[in-house]
Amino acid sequence: MTGLWRHELRLFLRQRLALPALALMALLSIASVWAGMAEIERQRDTIARIQPQQAADVAAIAKWVSVEGDAGNAAYYTFHATWDEPSALAFAAIGQRDVAPYILRIRALGLEAQLYESENYNAELALPGRFDWAFVLTYLAPLFVIVLLHDLKSGEREAGRIGLLAAMARNQQALWRRRIGLRIGGLLAALLIPFLIGAALSGASPGLALIFIVVAAAYILFWAMLCLWVGSRGWSSVTNAATLAASWLVLTLILPALGNLAINSVVPVRQGVELTLEQREKVHGGWDKPKQETMQAFFKAYPEWKDTKPVEGGFHWKWYYAFQHLGDLAAAPQAKAYREGLEARDRWTGRFGFALPAVGLQTILHRTARTDLNAGLIYQDRIRSYHKQLRRFYYPYVFNEVPFREADFVKAPQWEHR
Amino acid sequence: MQIIVVDALIVERGGRRVLDNLSLTVKAGEIYALLGGNGAGKSTTLSALLGFLKPVSGSLSVAGVDPASNAEAARHKIAYLPENVALYEHLTARENVEYFLALAGEAHGPEEIEAAFDAAGLQAEARDRPLGGYSKGMRQKVAIALAVVRQVPVLLLDEPTSGLDPRATADFNALIGALKERGTAILMVTHDLLGAADCADRIGFLDNGRIVEEVACDQGYDVMALHRRYGEAVAA
Repeated sequence: MTGLWRHELRLFLRQRLALPALALMALLSIASVWAGMAEIERQRDTIARIQPQQAADVAAIAKWVSVEGDAGNAAYYTFHATWDEPSALAFAAIGQRDVAPYILRIRALGLEAQLYESENYNAELALPGRFDWAFVLTYLAPLFVIVLLHDLKSGEREAGRIGLLAAMARNQQALWRRRIGLRIGGLLAALLIPFLIGAALSGASPGLALIFIVVAAAYILFWAMLCLWVGSRGWSSVTNAATLAASWLVLTLILPALGNLAINSVVPVRQGVELTLEQREKVHGGWDKPKQETMQAFFKAYPEWKDTKPVEGGFHWKWYYAFQHLGDLAAAPQAKAYREGLEARDRWTGRFGFALPAVGLQTILHRTARTDLNAGLIYQDRIRSYHKQLRRFYYPYVFNEVPFREADFVKAPQWEHR
Repeated sequence: MQIIVVDALIVERGGRRVLDNLSLTVKAGEIYALLGGNGAGKSTTLSALLGFLKPVSGSLSVAGVDPASNAEAARHKIAYLPENVALYEHLTARENVEYFLALAGEAHGPEEIEAAFDAAGLQAEARDRPLGGYSKGMRQKVAIALAVVRQVPVLLLDEPTSGLDPRATADFNALIGALKERGTAILMVTHDLLGAADCADRIGFLDNGRIVEEVACDQGYDVMALHRRYGEAVAA
């Protein structure tokens, strides 16, 4: 460090607000990384615990189902666990992982209702969002930039030093660059070092961690530029601080909230729970329809089961699984519309991100950490695919009326780690 | 040897002519006091010499350097004391001097800084205390020490004795007298005719951006007569 940098550093660190501000920023960053890592560790632990519990459940069901060997019972009572492993960077940007399910136990019944029945979370908890590193970066770090930069020049002017500094500095531009560099460098260090430690402990790939670092630096730079622009107006420090605080309120809270309202009104999407109810009503309607009508409709879609033994008498598992299956088919257009609506909202959010740095930042962080809506939809796609495998596994037993024995339970498709 | 040369200088600010054909010179080892009321152009003259303002016409020279075309080189030859010497309150006198020397790109050893503090009359026990508790006179001594250690040929003073008590004023006059003896060209702008008369070799009366009268100590002048003539105008 050259002499001048050393002098500037001493000057900066002796200022009343500098060290407390940097220490508080570091503390918030450490706390958010710790809280994020604890939450992701809790999720990993839950995922790890579900696997032995799943095996114990299946063993208990196998014990009594295999006595009669009724495949309908096996398919009905056996839950199959699915889970969405968090990425290594999820600790820093938890995104939708605290409101969307990351574990879902499914059966070979109608799928749509199962997908959305856990979509009821604590709305009060969801409103402020989780205290993670992305939250600290998006909402709190700009306030620290404002604290450190709002009076960069105006403070010197008000103290009567600006003339002396101008007269003494060999290179005035370099003087201000050094001061900005120290403040932004200190802030970034306080913000990024805890993140980097968290990323290393989580085994994040250096490339993805670098994306976090680059977007964080770009975001901080945006706020620094805004501070410098406001500072260049020649206003007092108090006016600068008030203007920047108002800008923070508008850019990070008010405009994103208005944008969200606008997106919700432009792209109306029904709640997933409504889809669940609709699919259930269609399924339950199946009880009142003539069995042959249900079976014909099912065989039309799946002719491979047409030549199996016909359904006769009262309840039959073939008929039950057929109307469950038809319930999914009936709800398919609404499910598709629901998904397209969510994707459209996501696209609009991305577009808002080009104009609103806070929105753009969160979009990139959550996309990189695989904790965004897209990651949730990918998990749903994997569940759909797994559910298809389950149906393909159980249907030959149910429709060909093949006894289902204890040994058959272990042949069921297993959820694969990503 | 003329160190500060201002010749037929015209400076305009906001469409108003602030300096109007101003001409003055200050020699090495000379103290020149520029007197004038508010708006007469005193501070503008200092700003032009520091290269903060571009003249409309005329010429300037500070130790052979034109501040209008090479402000940085000109400032390298100038020590400037603003009216309120505002240094960093949370740094000690020594740290302030070290900081401003570094800012000016000048390297001076601790012995040179100590000698400058001695020359400026700053008590040894005060040198490592933060400036927060300093009086205006003590702050000026720090700024003077900065000028001494830099050994620049030009010292510009803006209302240097304003707010100083009589003893501090006397100390200050002794200090700049010592700098004068070392060959420094000193230009001070002030409202204080009697104070200027105590220490200046020449006094120029500035009105509407031009010097209307100049008197020299060695030629003798009647201070009271000057006071009657200009006292009201310079006090304004």
